[in-house]
Amino acid sequence: MGSMLTKFNWFALAGGVATILLIVVSAVYPWWQLTVGDDLITVKASPVNMNLGFFDTSFAVPFIWALNVIGILSLLASGVAMLIYSVIPRKSYSMHLLGFGYKKPLYIVLFFVMGLLVTTVICQTVLRLTIPLIGSATSTLPIPLVAGATLTVLLSAGFQWSFWLAIVTAALCIAARLYHGKVVAVPSV
Amino acid sequence: MDKIRLILTLVTIAIIVIPIIGMLLAYQDNLLGLFIPPEITELTGDFMGSDGEDVFGLEAPAVVDELEYDATTRTFSVSFEFKNSFPLNITIKSLTGNIECEEHGFHLGIASLSKPVSIDAGETGTLTVLGTWTEEAIAHFGTAHGAEEIVDVVLVDFTVDISGIQLEMDQGQMEQSMQVPNPALME
Repeated sequence: MGSMLTKFNWFALAGGVATILLIVVSAVYPWWQLTVGDDLITVKASPVNMNLGFFDTSFAVPFIWALNVIGILSLLASGVAMLIYSVIPRKSYSMHLLGFGYKKPLYIVLFFVMGLLVTTVICQTVLRLTIPLIGSATSTLPIPLVAGATLTVLLSAGFQWSFWLAIVTAALCIAARLYHGKVVAVPSV
Repeated sequence: MDKIRLILTLVTIAIIVIPIIGMLLAYQDNLLGLFIPPEITELTGDFMGSDGEDVFGLEAPAVVDELEYDATTRTFSVSFEFKNSFPLNITIKSLTGNIECEEHGFHLGIASLSKPVSIDAGETGTLTVLGTWTEEAIAHFGTAHGAEEIVDVVLVDFTVDISGIQLEMDQGQMEQSMQVPNPALME
């Protein structure tokens, strides 16, 4: 039973499955969502899919679309590598597979959060528009729609459940790396 | 073993580089398009005229019905027609403002929208505004305008909530003039 437990890296198996699942979930459910006014402007962001809704029009920014492709391919490669590694954790090349796979979900989560932070700081500095990362804020829009008028709008933002799934996935992959030592320490039967 | 390591490193590089290079090649003739999608350009075109000037905004609403007044509660209602010149459907959720005597600048009361109104892009909707004259206003109508059946008033300092965007007019901006029957003569 003990050898069965250490024959596979269960954390890597769970991490690999979670990573593949994360790709599917993130394509549909954003990690972070921003709403301006009564859904006048919506931003649904995840490293896999970013969608901007401007009034009644929905569109994607080509450069961000390219980043999304990188996100999808990175997570896919990570998930596949983790799954392969999880069933053959003691092969000579297994450590390379693990090293290739376990960091990517963590890096993607970190880059995503950093990207949001940088974007909100740029908006604050350049446009004087306060965008909350979490919660609500009232901002004055820097758009001269009507002379002599001030436009204020409520912005609501928050991380969605899929973001917490991403953190769990990253944690499982890190746990797989930590568990690797235990797997290789047990002699093969 | 080193081959696997090399392959995995190449895969990592390819995953990052290929989409970026591909997108740069696809947009090599229009690098700005990488960051500003055509939909934004079209929307900007809708919002701006061909000469680059703002073509939409808030047109002053026109009074469509005579003001109805209830002397016992000092309340009145008046309907306006408002054209939605925005290139999108809007809902006017609320409208509040002060009413002043046009001649004397005397504060007469407050006004607010009776209920939210949705108006499609380019269409015209009817806004019903409810207002209340203050007791001081009734006295002002009696003393300063006692001989006038119709008094010119203005709706000032109003705030409009359009689909969650609060539009607050600065002092003296976009006053809405209207003529009201003298309530002092309707007591």
